[in-house]
Amino acid sequence: MNLQNVCGPSGTVKDNSNRKSQYDSILAQSVSSQANGQSENENSDNQNLEVKDGNLVLLREENNDSGVANEKQKLHSSSSDKNSEVSVVTPFLAKYITDQSMIPKDNFYKYCYRHNPEITCNRRTDEDNSKDIQRQLEKLPVRDQEAINHVWSIFGAAPHSHRTLIVKGILAQCCFPQLSYISQEVSSLIRIDYISFLPVEIALKILCYLDCASLCNAAQVSKKWKSLADDDRVWHHMCEQHIDRKCPNCGWGLPLMHMKRVREGTTYSSCGNKRTSEAIEPTSSAGSEVEYEIKRVKLNQEEQAKQQMKLKKRPWKSVYCERFKLEKNWRKGTYSTKMFTGHTDGVTCLQFNHKYLMSGSYDGTIKVWKVDTQECLRTLVGHTKGIRALAFDSQKLITGGLDSTIKVWNYHTGQCIATYQGHSSAVVAVDFSKKTIVSGSADHTVKVWHVDSRTCYTLRGHTDWVNSVKIHAPSNTAFSASDDLTIRMWDLENNQCLRVFGGVENNGHIGQVQCVIPFAYKDTLVEDVIESEAKENQDGNVNTAANDGLNDGAEHDDDNSDSLPDNPDYPTHLLTSSLDNTIKVWNVKTGKCIRTQFGHIEGVWSISADTFRIISGADDRVIKVWDLQNGKCLHTFASNSNVSCVALSDSRFAAGLEDGSVKMYCFD
Amino acid sequence: MPEPKVIIISSDDEKFPVDVKVAEKSILMKKMIEDLNPDGLEEDFEIPTPNVRSTVLAKVIEWCTHHKNTVFPDDDDEDARKSAPVDEWDKNFLKVDQEMLYEIILAANYLNIRPLMDSGCKIVAEMIRGKSPEELRRTFNIVNDFSPEEEAAIRRENEWAEDR
Repeated sequence: MNLQNVCGPSGTVKDNSNRKSQYDSILAQSVSSQANGQSENENSDNQNLEVKDGNLVLLREENNDSGVANEKQKLHSSSSDKNSEVSVVTPFLAKYITDQSMIPKDNFYKYCYRHNPEITCNRRTDEDNSKDIQRQLEKLPVRDQEAINHVWSIFGAAPHSHRTLIVKGILAQCCFPQLSYISQEVSSLIRIDYISFLPVEIALKILCYLDCASLCNAAQVSKKWKSLADDDRVWHHMCEQHIDRKCPNCGWGLPLMHMKRVREGTTYSSCGNKRTSEAIEPTSSAGSEVEYEIKRVKLNQEEQAKQQMKLKKRPWKSVYCERFKLEKNWRKGTYSTKMFTGHTDGVTCLQFNHKYLMSGSYDGTIKVWKVDTQECLRTLVGHTKGIRALAFDSQKLITGGLDSTIKVWNYHTGQCIATYQGHSSAVVAVDFSKKTIVSGSADHTVKVWHVDSRTCYTLRGHTDWVNSVKIHAPSNTAFSASDDLTIRMWDLENNQCLRVFGGVENNGHIGQVQCVIPFAYKDTLVEDVIESEAKENQDGNVNTAANDGLNDGAEHDDDNSDSLPDNPDYPTHLLTSSLDNTIKVWNVKTGKCIRTQFGHIEGVWSISADTFRIISGADDRVIKVWDLQNGKCLHTFASNSNVSCVALSDSRFAAGLEDGSVKMYCFD
Repeated sequence: MPEPKVIIISSDDEKFPVDVKVAEKSILMKKMIEDLNPDGLEEDFEIPTPNVRSTVLAKVIEWCTHHKNTVFPDDDDEDARKSAPVDEWDKNFLKVDQEMLYEIILAANYLNIRPLMDSGCKIVAEMIRGKSPEELRRTFNIVNDFSPEEEAAIRRENEWAEDR
């Protein structure tokens, strides 16, 4: 007997042989493919002819029996009695396949909604499995093949509800080893390509939970996966998570690199140290690349075609990739170096941007270097003694020297524009913002020079050399670090001292403070747990002041910050370095040191920092790279001379050495 | 008189009577109940869910019942929602076969149950995380439709993220 007997008209032989291959197995069918569904529908037209009223009635009666009995009867009849087989199998197939074609809209009738041909989520036909079925089938006697085939035929034609019933019946007959086989097979059969078959917005949502390595692996899976895993929406989210902030999930942060954008535009902007203090202020970098690109995306959505003509569109993945490579180099310590040699005495101060590096030296000169080529463009001569401080922007350079003067230079021409005299001893620190210059001197004072009004104020309070001054422009305050072991915060509006940072009670420096950097930090910095206080707290044996500080921070803060008005523009923290070999982080609001970073074994002359890193240079001839957020030392670079000054950018840092050279470490 | 129930009807016509509080975990049902019963429920209220079959609906209702008193982080707080690990109970609850997980995600999407969507998507993300392309294909039964040349090029294109 062949399939003709089942299906009747000889015209359907060809179709039937197709069908045979379709009915490979119950498992393969339980999630039948779209192709299957369609060809069944085609066949049904032919089989339509064979429907007999009596058969339909018989079939309906049988359906009232239990699935098991039904199944057995069908098996029995198909293998032994031709007539009874015709009366069961043929009409069954005919009925359901016919019904299917008669109510084509109601796909739920035959299919569960998931293998509705209109829903494309279907299991890929397992080629190996089909071949295996074929092999095993061929080993059996023909009659057995037919019998088994009928089981599959019936199952294949059955509507969804019947299929469940049939499976239930089969499962009820299975012994444990067979069930174990099913359970094993099933777990490998139910594998769904979520990313391709879920709605796009859900697939993208899933991808947004991934890290960049997983996303890059996902992009290599298939074409569909690639298009989703490379999607701009996913990588825009990645950029938002990581650029200019430390991602709370993975601990990675990527540089803003807005300098690059500026560079590619028409103007080039300010300088290394300067930018350092600005880059750390999220509010001040208004034209940052991220914001810029967000605007760009919005514009694109509005008038896409028009904008695409004007702006070269860059995928967010490549924006991320560029920054990621840089951050990877920082983390792994992969760098190249540039040397700037020419000074005849120790370098005391330096600053750089993408184009220029400027260095001041005890040899009394300032040198302007071209970063790319390391060539010395200009040597500025004018100070009568060594240079101790410098700061530059796109137009001018301001220097302070041991000759007690401050000079303003047009470094493009090499001309000295102005000289400010007033300090009674060496000027060892300068900073400026707009038209205000602040200087620190060995005469123990800080002076504020208002260039436009030609006025100068002297800020008194320090009792020893003032080694470092920094203006915090957003709050119009200045910070000074001194050999008297303290740091002072000044209000440039009224020239008052707002706060003194130091003292044993605040865990202050015990050596001369060489450098101060104010910054605002959005997230949480890791703080030291102070053992003595923790212990005291445990013992319950505490003096009231310490107790207040520990148990009721807010109250204690109020006590201590009487002199510090609330101002949201104030920096939140300070970084300081000292000849006591440490770097400290201070809470500006409470005036307390919250973290001390140990590691240098001699005095730390200079530090520089951005949103992610602190660079420190010390007398012990090493430069250290620290994680700003957790205070951990990431790298230690040895140098062949004492390090007197450092400066940092997104991708590089430079160190000025006592042997007169400047070494630049490039991580890009 | 007992409190009126919401009766959720699955695609295969099974009826699930639940408390209003449970049904309201679905924003879709919440809106529907509010819009059609502005004065509050006075009698049982039927909601058909023609996209959700009964076994899936039962799971979703189990989730809603468990979480009926849970306060979830604000929808607007993207960061908190993104970084929060999957709730331990949800993690166990979603230890189901891939088909069930797939249908739960679709149901949560359709019924607008954000926290369940989040958990489901995070679970799928965990299935993807850290796997090589070949492992991903095996896990999700995907055919590699790249030519060898394409595959090599895409591999080079994505090398930068390896070994960080």
